[in-house]
This record gives sequence, C-alpha cells and structure tokens, in this order.
Amino acid sequence: MIAARDLRSPRARLLGGAQASVERPVGSTDPIVPFSHAAASMGGRLVIHVEAEDGRRAEAGRSTAALVERVERWAARLTRYSETSDLSVLNADPRLEIPVRPTLAALLRAGRMVTESTEGLADITLLDARLAAEGLAGEDVELTSRAYDWSIAPGRRGSAIVRRSPGLRFDLDGVGKGWIADRALRFLADWPSAVVDADGDLAIRCAPGKTWEVAVDDPRTPETSIAVLRLTAPDGFPGRWGVATSGISIHRWNVDGRVRHHLIDPRTGRPAVTDVVQATVIAGSALRAEALAKAAVIAGSFEGFALLDRARVQGAVILTDRGETLALPQTLALLGN
Amino acid sequence: MEDFETRGTQPSPLVRRAPTAPNAHPPKAKPDARPMRAALGAGGLAAFSAVLAAIILPATPPVIVPAVDPQLQAAPDTSGTPISLQRPIQYVQLLPGQTAPPGAVVVDPSGPRPTSVVVTVPAPAAKAQKPIIIKTTQSGKRVP
Repeated sequence: MIAARDLRSPRARLLGGAQASVERPVGSTDPIVPFSHAAASMGGRLVIHVEAEDGRRAEAGRSTAALVERVERWAARLTRYSETSDLSVLNADPRLEIPVRPTLAALLRAGRMVTESTEGLADITLLDARLAAEGLAGEDVELTSRAYDWSIAPGRRGSAIVRRSPGLRFDLDGVGKGWIADRALRFLADWPSAVVDADGDLAIRCAPGKTWEVAVDDPRTPETSIAVLRLTAPDGFPGRWGVATSGISIHRWNVDGRVRHHLIDPRTGRPAVTDVVQATVIAGSALRAEALAKAAVIAGSFEGFALLDRARVQGAVILTDRGETLALPQTLALLGN
Repeated sequence: MEDFETRGTQPSPLVRRAPTAPNAHPPKAKPDARPMRAALGAGGLAAFSAVLAAIILPATPPVIVPAVDPQLQAAPDTSGTPISLQRPIQYVQLLPGQTAPPGAVVVDPSGPRPTSVVVTVPAPAAKAQKPIIIKTTQSGKRVP
C-alpha cells in the first residue's frame, strides 16, 4: 500500500488531479534579517517583524508598537477569558437574536468561512465541549457540532445580528489568532516585507525577490525544528502566505488522571483521537492555515492529508505519533536546507 | 373395510413383536422428531424471508468500509522518497437517481481508490550560524 513514486518526475499526481511542482523557486536569496518587536498578548506572544533599513528602524519601532496596542484592543473584545469582552457578552446573552459590533461580527463570519473550508472540522460552536474537556463544565449539554445552528445578518456600519439556537455559545480560540495576524498585517502596508506572529500563527508578506525563513518547531525537543521553510517572493510580485501550526502535545492537561488536549473533534464533542501530533500548513492566509492545521490534526494523518490536498494548500508538514515527519509534495519547493 | 378392521384389531405378523429372549437388549427408543422439525421449519422460514426481502424490498445503499491495511501503519520510508498513502475511507454508494448532498465529495466507483501522495521531510541541517528568528509553533505553554 505504500508505493515509492518516481522521484525523477518533477510533478507528483495528487488526489483530485491537482498538480504540484517540486522544483525550487528561482531567485532564492538570503533570508531577511528583520527588525522585531515582541510583546505578551493573547495569552501568549505577539511578535511583529519588518524589514527595515538602518534609517527606518525608529519608524519601525513606532509602527510596530502602535500595532501591538491595536491588537490588544481587538483581543480584548474577542477573548473568552474576560467577562466584559464582546464575545463573553454574546455568550452570556439569553436572547436568540443579539447585535454584535464590527470586530466580533467580522471574526464570526471568518469562523463560518473556515468551517466550510475545513469540511466542518474547524468549528467555533464547541465552547461547551471545550469546557467539558477542561473539567470546567459537565457533559450534560450538547457537545457535538452546532455549526449550522446559527446565522449572522449584516447590520449597520459593519455590525451584525447573530441569530442562534438556545444555549449555543462560541469559542473563537481556533480562529482568532490567525484572523488577528492577517488583520494586523494589513496595518503594516508601509513595510513591503513584514510578518505578524500571533503566538506561532504567522501572516507573512514579502517584497519581490526577497525571502523569509521560517522554522517549524519540533515539539519533542525545545529550540529545535523539524523543517525550515524558505518563502521567496518571485521577482516582480510580492509574496503573501499564512503559516500556522496546531497540535496536541503542548496545550494539554490532566483531568481525573487522564490527559486531554484542546482540539475538540466536532463529531464526538471530545478531544480528538488522532495520530497527528502536530500539523503545519502553508496557505494564503494565517486564518486559513490555522484552521486547516487544526482540521488536519483532528482528522488524523490519512484524512488530514486528503483534506489539505482538497483545500489546495501550498504546503503541509505533519509530525505523527510514529515519529514520521511527512509533507505534501509541493512542500519540497518551500523547504530550506 | 374388513381388511382395515382386521388390521386394526389383529396385529400383522410383520410388526408382531418377536418373543424376547431373557438376555436380549431392550429395543432402541426412537428419537423425538419434533425439535428437529421445529428447527428445520424455522430455518426454512428464515431463508424464505431473506429471499422475499431481496425480491420485494428496494436495495438499500450499502456502506462499504474498506479494510485498513496494517502495512499502512508500518515504519515510513526514511529515504525522502514520495510515498503513497491509500486511505481507509467510508462512503455511501448512491443509487441511480440519487444525488449527493451539497459539498459532498463524490468518488467515481470505477476509478482507483483515493490516495494521498506525501513525502518524508529530511531533517534540517544543524546550522552553526545565526538561529532562525521566525518560528511557527503550537500555541500554549510547553508541558514538561
């Protein structure tokens, strides 16, 4: 069942007839050495990197510091760890039709979109299942997916009306950081090469002909990586990527002596039983990469690779519990030495 | 009529019990045929019911679950060559006239089984020079 393919072929046939080049991009250059601004944010770390010549470093410092403050304001509206956030207010509201402000409305729409693109595996309606997995709530409520028990209608000036079935509550952990990274990158329009790192989920823009080098963390050993990606924009065109990693080996805990993790399978309402320890996806945006990485972990390696293939991602690296580091063939074009 | 009456009242020499010798074995008791008849009857009914169901009832979409090849769990190729993972998938076969729900992936039954081609990733060379600044990681704190 495991059949070696012809390495001499520059293209590998993939499920669904997709074609993937495994040739390296022309014009790879030395990676950018950026100006970086790091801050604690969103329960983790927010780092903003820009390519800035020596004469623009002070300006880069001001731009990135202002962006960190802006991201903090977004995060404060979207977190479920604050009772006063827009999200917590929405979840606590007993009404079935609730107006929401533009930032939350935009993220809810993004959540609906990634549910579609991940074939239902990235689901923002699993808060009760997540709390049950953490031992913070009982299992006497609906734990499986309610992804289609709600809708969102446009309101005034970017706001919206959320209509939902009784008891449905949202958890945006699975999509929030990628969405924030993408949104923050748009505020760095003055910097042709920039990266927003939202606790490991990256929104990347690259000037034509330039290269960003990104390490894929090895969760088994600190300060090591299982692969190095070289993301090079072709001459004449800027590059835009999202790179995100999801997994079950870091964010985990014990409940009643059993190890549980944070990735809930919407089909069961419980932490996913999977052979994927970690999945990294390279896609067109951090939102999409984050959701697809999560979906690949939940689906397991066989179904996960097929899902990523259907989603036509630009690359994917998966670490399995058998110690394999596997990738989609097109990823070879992005690997550094 | 006489014959019948005669048979009913006078035992025929053919069935007349022979005088038993003092040391002869007792006659064998015949097995009770009723349990076997009941079992055969039930079996026949079940077979008839199955044939009837196949003739009369419409065929239901079969759920085909290909077996998982244990070879798939074997150690991977570590030479960096592409490998083909043939996935164990579950699917429902559509009957003529049925249409798949929106968004469903439709597999041509006459085509090859879906596979995913993946490659093994060679370990990155340890670099003595500058560390890579940007890293994609799982979120959360590392638990020892």
